[in-house]
Amino acid sequence: MDVTLKIHRFVEGRKWVQGYSVPVSVGMTVLESLIFVKEKLDPTLSFTCSCRSSICGACAVRVNGNAELSCEILVEDLLKRYETDTLTIEPLGNFRVIRDLIVDWDPKYDRLKKIKPAIEPKPEFTAETGCKQSPEEFNKFKKYAGCILCGSCVSECNKNTLNEKDFLDPFVFVKAERLVADSRNRSPREHLQAVQDAGLWRCFNCQECTAKCPKGLDPAGAIEKLKEATFKMGLSQGVGGNHAKAIYDDISDSGMLDESKLNIKSEGFIMAGLRLPMALRLLNVGKMNPLESHPINPEIQTIKAIVKAAEKEDE
Amino acid sequence: MKYAFFPGCVLKGAAAEAYTSMQKVCDKIGIELVEIENWTCCGASHAQGVNDLAALAVNARNISIAEHEGLPIMTVCNTCTLQLRTAKHRLDSDEKLKEKINGILKEGGHPYEYKGTSEITHFLWVLDAHPELLKGQIVRPLSDWKVAAYYGCHILRPQEIMNYEDGKNPHSFERLVKTLGAQNVEFDAKRKCCGFHAQLAAEDDVMKVTGQIVDSAFRAEATVLATPCPLCQMQLDMYEPEGREAVHSRAEVPILHLQQLVGFALGMSKEDVGFNRHVSAQAKLKLDS
Repeated sequence: MDVTLKIHRFVEGRKWVQGYSVPVSVGMTVLESLIFVKEKLDPTLSFTCSCRSSICGACAVRVNGNAELSCEILVEDLLKRYETDTLTIEPLGNFRVIRDLIVDWDPKYDRLKKIKPAIEPKPEFTAETGCKQSPEEFNKFKKYAGCILCGSCVSECNKNTLNEKDFLDPFVFVKAERLVADSRNRSPREHLQAVQDAGLWRCFNCQECTAKCPKGLDPAGAIEKLKEATFKMGLSQGVGGNHAKAIYDDISDSGMLDESKLNIKSEGFIMAGLRLPMALRLLNVGKMNPLESHPINPEIQTIKAIVKAAEKEDE
Repeated sequence: MKYAFFPGCVLKGAAAEAYTSMQKVCDKIGIELVEIENWTCCGASHAQGVNDLAALAVNARNISIAEHEGLPIMTVCNTCTLQLRTAKHRLDSDEKLKEKINGILKEGGHPYEYKGTSEITHFLWVLDAHPELLKGQIVRPLSDWKVAAYYGCHILRPQEIMNYEDGKNPHSFERLVKTLGAQNVEFDAKRKCCGFHAQLAAEDDVMKVTGQIVDSAFRAEATVLATPCPLCQMQLDMYEPEGREAVHSRAEVPILHLQQLVGFALGMSKEDVGFNRHVSAQAKLKLDS
């Protein structure tokens, strides 16, 4: 059986889609199919790869709209998934393309530097005593230390696609959480403030990054952990954080969201007041009723006590 | 067929039509819904960013009430499904965490433990897994309708938790549309995020993506867009005019809850499913009597 690869080419400003027919062998990876093209059909096709063992992160590409680590994903699995004999291969999304499937990491490294991506050890650590930590402390960030910087997580990030200027790449959040959660770190607050200043609360929570990470690192979860840390370290968060806190408080106060007050609690009276035209729009179709009182869950004391007990346990 | 129903906050508020249409449709096709007694908000994808353990405990409580009733849980909201299934996934795969959470529930005075005995599913998955529910019930096939079946995010991602089907190439919704007698349109935005959860924090971007999604359905000549998530529905319906402006589009498309679409095929009227509560494109929905 052959697969048709439709590869998005880009050479010196010229863009086109080129088709190649590749015989599929059992266990053939997407990377092997690209190597077949380069070695047998078209030596001008450019892509990057190195370890072929899902470790170096160099070979991520987009297949049929989804980022994949090309050295570990099998052609036959993708043909089955998409019920097709044709795969469209593009460079990763949300990157500047250098040539064909090769993307430019330099701007990404500049973005990574925004969070001060290095640890300064606590003052009690010395060259003589070392930087020891317990297995429990290590486990708090171990997962996030496994990022291979392949860029898959940002390829379909909805927020980055719309506007990357006031947001970071998911792998940068992963790196930040790895640093913030490390018990040896002298100044986790510094990374946290930097992450917050660079758009932490603007995440759409679309889970694309978590769905695409080939290492299962859950960047969306790292973002949530960073948000939680801003509360634990007493940073003031602005609209996004106020919104999350308003929802959290509503659970303890009544058991469910009080939609009528959510905007006021999140944005303040003045900004919420500017939303009057929307409120009128909703009143008009009965989606909002100012005369309706917000119900209180009959078990609210228990719910409050559960939240309190969890907060105490978490201290 | 009987489920513990977790409606979620918006079905009791701004999307009340999603609640009434859900009740009517389930009644008609023989699904008994027993609302989880004194349920609380699932955290709306935000509470865990304030205190993860408390958000987990709150959902463990929700699930434990259904377990006590001996019923599987069904929701009709993508985010509620994700929040509840995430809690279940974490508790079922970590004995120590489960113990800790049960200690918290006990300390708070909650009478039931979290056991992990109730499955958590979404109405779309139930309809897809049980085609017999709609067999012989389609009295008004939606044969002239071109439906943009818009999944949204949380019913598809992350795959580890939302694993009813392959999130990169889902088909359940398209199958349902076909069963209802309507045509599916292929449109770019069907797995995109509507931005609802960042509506306040990234408003300009969210308006743009709202406009892009509706425009994508419009360009594919959809007569309606339907979604299994009331949050997506609210975002796309309530902000359709702003979305249009943000992307310079002239798209005007009715945005339906999944259960309203089903209700129409079951012969229900616009009033029955609460379509009069929609903000956008009311006049565009053509319904044969």
